[in-house]
Amino acid sequence: MVNFDQLQTGLNRRTFLTNSGVGLGAAALSSLLSGEKNAVAQSTSTQSLVGGLPGLPHFAPKAKRVIFLCMAGGPTHLETFDYKPKLAKMDGKPFPESYTKGQPIAQLQGKELKCQGPLTKFRKYGRNGQEISDFLPWTAKIADDICIIRSMVTEQINHDPAHTFLNTGTAISGRPSMGSWITYGLGSETEELPGFVVLTSVGGRNPQPIASRQWGTGFLPSRYQGVQFNSTGDPVNYLTNPAGVSARQQKELIETVQTLDRFRNQRVANPEIETRIAAYEMAFKMQTSVPELMDLSGESKQTMEMYGAEPGSGTYATNCLLARRLAERGSRFIHLYHRGWDHHGDLVRYMNTCCGLTDQPTWALINDLKQRGMLDETLVIWGGEFGRTPMFQGKGGAGRDHHIKGFSMWMAGGGIKGGITHGATDELGYNSVEDIVHVRDLHATMLHLLGINHQRFSVEFQGLDSRLTGVEEAHVIKNILT
Amino acid sequence: MLRVVIKHFWIGLIACMLLPHPVDSAEKKVDFNRDIRPILSRNCFQCHGPDSTHREADLRLDLEQGLKSKSGDESIIRPGHPEQSLLFERITSNDPDLVMPPADSGKSLKPAEIQLLKQWIEAGAPWSKHWAYLKPQATPAPEVKNQSWPVNWIDHFILSRLEQLNLQPAAEADKVTLIRRLSFDLTGLPPTSQEVDQFVKDQKPQAYEKLVDRLLASPHYGERMAMYWLDLVRFADTVGYHGDQDHHISPYRDYVIRAFNENKPFDQFTREQLAGDLLSEPTLQQKIATGYNRMLQTSHEGGVQRKEYLAIYAADRIRNFSGVWMGATMGCCQCHDHKYDPYTIKDFYSLVSFFADIDEDQHLKRGSDRIPTIREPEIFLYSDQEQKQIAEIESNIKTAEQALKKTKDEQEQKQLKQQLDQLKKTRAAIDRSALKTMITVSIQPREIRVLPRGNWLDETGPVVQPAIPEFLGTLKTDNRRLTRLDLANWLSDEDGYGLLTARVMANRFWYLFFGHGIAPVLDDFGGQGGPPHHPELLDQLALKFYQDQWDVKQMVKFIVMSRAYRQSSLETAGQRKRDPFNQMLDRQARFRLPAEMIRDNALAVSGLLVTDVGGPSVKPYQPEGYYRHLNFPKRTYVADTDERQWRRGLYVHWQRQFLHPMLKAFDAPSREECTAQRPRSNTPIAAMTLLNDPTFIEAARKFAEDVLQNGGDSDTEKIRYAFSRATSRAPEEMESEVLIALLNSNRKAYQSKPKEAVALTKAGLAKTNPELNAVELASWTEVTRALLNLNEVVTRN
Repeated sequence: MVNFDQLQTGLNRRTFLTNSGVGLGAAALSSLLSGEKNAVAQSTSTQSLVGGLPGLPHFAPKAKRVIFLCMAGGPTHLETFDYKPKLAKMDGKPFPESYTKGQPIAQLQGKELKCQGPLTKFRKYGRNGQEISDFLPWTAKIADDICIIRSMVTEQINHDPAHTFLNTGTAISGRPSMGSWITYGLGSETEELPGFVVLTSVGGRNPQPIASRQWGTGFLPSRYQGVQFNSTGDPVNYLTNPAGVSARQQKELIETVQTLDRFRNQRVANPEIETRIAAYEMAFKMQTSVPELMDLSGESKQTMEMYGAEPGSGTYATNCLLARRLAERGSRFIHLYHRGWDHHGDLVRYMNTCCGLTDQPTWALINDLKQRGMLDETLVIWGGEFGRTPMFQGKGGAGRDHHIKGFSMWMAGGGIKGGITHGATDELGYNSVEDIVHVRDLHATMLHLLGINHQRFSVEFQGLDSRLTGVEEAHVIKNILT
Repeated sequence: MLRVVIKHFWIGLIACMLLPHPVDSAEKKVDFNRDIRPILSRNCFQCHGPDSTHREADLRLDLEQGLKSKSGDESIIRPGHPEQSLLFERITSNDPDLVMPPADSGKSLKPAEIQLLKQWIEAGAPWSKHWAYLKPQATPAPEVKNQSWPVNWIDHFILSRLEQLNLQPAAEADKVTLIRRLSFDLTGLPPTSQEVDQFVKDQKPQAYEKLVDRLLASPHYGERMAMYWLDLVRFADTVGYHGDQDHHISPYRDYVIRAFNENKPFDQFTREQLAGDLLSEPTLQQKIATGYNRMLQTSHEGGVQRKEYLAIYAADRIRNFSGVWMGATMGCCQCHDHKYDPYTIKDFYSLVSFFADIDEDQHLKRGSDRIPTIREPEIFLYSDQEQKQIAEIESNIKTAEQALKKTKDEQEQKQLKQQLDQLKKTRAAIDRSALKTMITVSIQPREIRVLPRGNWLDETGPVVQPAIPEFLGTLKTDNRRLTRLDLANWLSDEDGYGLLTARVMANRFWYLFFGHGIAPVLDDFGGQGGPPHHPELLDQLALKFYQDQWDVKQMVKFIVMSRAYRQSSLETAGQRKRDPFNQMLDRQARFRLPAEMIRDNALAVSGLLVTDVGGPSVKPYQPEGYYRHLNFPKRTYVADTDERQWRRGLYVHWQRQFLHPMLKAFDAPSREECTAQRPRSNTPIAAMTLLNDPTFIEAARKFAEDVLQNGGDSDTEKIRYAFSRATSRAPEEMESEVLIALLNSNRKAYQSKPKEAVALTKAGLAKTNPELNAVELASWTEVTRALLNLNEVVTRN
């Protein structure tokens, strides 16, 4: 039985040590891991440098990593990927009660519900004529690369729990986020950068608050927590040496600490000290490699312009470029947030703002990955925690309320069939009705592409075999796979 | 098998028989609760367990009746005959369609588990109720061969097992280790050099006990115990969801510290938190205690639906309540009967019903995006000065109002009105800055229904009344609705859950002083939590806690007085291999200090620590922009610029969504949910934090100042002084040499760039002694930084 202690110390130590490149002798390792020798042997035989669990991946993966482009606030599906002519016809008319009766509702509680037709035009793009709105002219150019899912559903109607649900598979706080699950399972391909990185972007309208719970590691070992990168100040908290301490001095200090710890360990024979020495080693490496990552001076002018990136700006554009750089360097899960998508009112104005900030960089990311031959092995996911109501909300100009029964996302890259649209909502864009994709299904599919059978990827917590996909059934969306 | 001993050690009965006892038979005998139930629970209960809606083949393997029932003509288990037991046939079947557990369950039995089941059936398949639901049973302290080792009966339980296994307990730790261990364990602070010297020199037999008593009497004992309790009850300064606004609760933390310091009996502590408002004429402290019921996560997001959030809050509360006091994972029953334990969905909502009178509707009606947000009901805790001011203002208001009534003169009226306005503003200003705290106010209980599948939109479930979980009995009343006070009383009642609560808590006290619980999962005493490795000892401790009338200090003292506690924590490779989680307790534990103590230790060693007890939360240095993801409203973190900067970790402002990155790096929880056991990680992020967080740089700098001023003349003397301040021991020669090399190398570096030296000596707000040479101070700061980063310095041994 894996209990809390074993999970926290045994696995933590094993996965850390086998892979942190600190060159522990085999004898030290086996004494330290007592009985986990076989597991170690298996995990070192996998490809990754900072290894994951033995036996993972379960089968050959299609994608090596994930870049999740989270449009926090809940982008409208009705003005992006889901054109509803019937809704246009019914614009201003009462919304049929047959849809809304007994359904969860957010800010429109107790209000009169009216139809709000699409607030922009749609056109068809690419080989298969993917319908994409005029707000997204750049995304339109990658119509053949992306698979639009129009039939998403989720379970939480308020931002915070809905994000938690999208990221952890449950609305209860304290569970691991998908990035933690994936780096825990698969490890990462870099020992100098975190395997799970979070980049939040500045710019746009009044931003959604995002809790660090969204990249929390829950009951998994702490080292799988998402590491937040900052666009100003220290790129990672406490990364920079104290004022007045040079890199050389810092190195000497760390080496002194390691020497003294090692010396003491001759007296006390504590394997935890070896882990600690390794942690200091990696900390020092990060102090060099993170600034190198953030330094965009090596990028061509063309690339900078393609993204619209500006070093140190913290924009979504710059973060997209950083995402590519992290992907190149072996991070496993890169989570970008743009936080301006909660358009209860003035939707057109704010869509212009948000799409203006994100559309081109998103295209640039896909394009860049493709040019570098990395798109095939990178799964890119675009979407928010929910969609928006087909009903009008008017907080200063037409807008839409939160909506969970039908919304759109897209996936592209490793193992995904590009140029297709999967699933559909009803004629008013209220309920997903065809090939419904629950958030759990999205998780199952993501894990599948990474070579993980979601049913067999569990950790015991509070007596339950906990999974990212939870206890309910989840299905891999077979139709969208290559 | 014969039990070896019959001796009530603590009441001084004499051993009456001692039989020859084969060494391993104790280990070989299959014990249902220890060996068999976990296998069944893990592999079978999900489909053949308590959850009636998902039960397959109408078969329950969680009950003896089910295990010994028949399927057609065949027995599920025929005691004594594995080969005639259907259960055994199915688990050993080669037919993939028949084998249990089925392949698609993702579960499988190991050969050793099958062997255990076989042995158990052969032995007659003796069954017993799950250990955690049985009341603790008194067991006489076992006889031991080495009579001189035990100090109290804890040691008898441990030593007798070790002797059976032919193992030796570890030698006693040296005195320096002992005083460091005790100081961290009982106060969360390192001992001062004088305290170490005094203890090491004191050769009297009572020296150890004297030390224990001194530490238990320290006001820092309450702080240390509070650190743990606050994790359990998820104490935090902010609401948790969405805007994560501040709320008023810090007086509750001070109540907890005070309760431990005053050694409030645990049953009373329980009662006050759950139902202080229902006690007759509750005191102010008892009202503050009821803040417990208000500490759940709340949302002030626009568009929260009242009913949905009442359901979310109810579930949050039951998850916490059941985890904290019952060691139960009742969260599962929000949607369905528990898969492994006998709790039902109805039990869950019946417990919800106890809390249905708490006025938590106010913020749902008056949600607010301001800081702090509105979380009424709250009470004001005016300081003496504020009380005086209020009395004065109110009397002035009265006078002015009376004057206003009397006068007809317009000019005078105008003047008086202005005066009144001003007075009222001043009065309101006092309330804005005064200390407040959320409390529980009981209102007409709302109706509670079972929510099928946890769905708050579904109103078809039956209405339920307050009731304890059905399998644990019923609470008798004379047709009166049960209250939170009844529930709290049940938790400490001998005929209620009392002895089981005592066991849950005894296990946690053990964890605090041995690093692991006797039962491995501190908040899951259910079937999946794993049985205790010394069940008799755990039961004895529970009984003692109960019989001592819930005297926490006495419990703590008893544990730390034991010989087992005093063992060395050095571990051989053999021990580690044989028993990696130290279940035999043939050594003490060594583990990294909790986050708060790492901070406290650095501040204490440097001399910066401010040891005030209690008060509003404080804000140490924090990376700029760390709160940039917070909104509604946006906020800027303003670090304290006075003494509050150097207060203990447990007073740090606890922002649930963005916990201070130092605390987080060292595994302090967000306190969104009950945390009974923190992980103890060892990550690069933590290394960077200890290396570079300005709090630690400042501490190192002040530490260096102290070394320069008080450490003696030569470098070697100074190193010796610094080293022993940090570790409580003298450095070995090699250690001293390595540090001197670091010192000289930095001297060289800083002599060529004195500006850099000045920069390092300016870290933090604490004043620098201008007399000191910057190059020297900076070079020594590098030495003290190294010391503060040593494994030994952040490890409790």
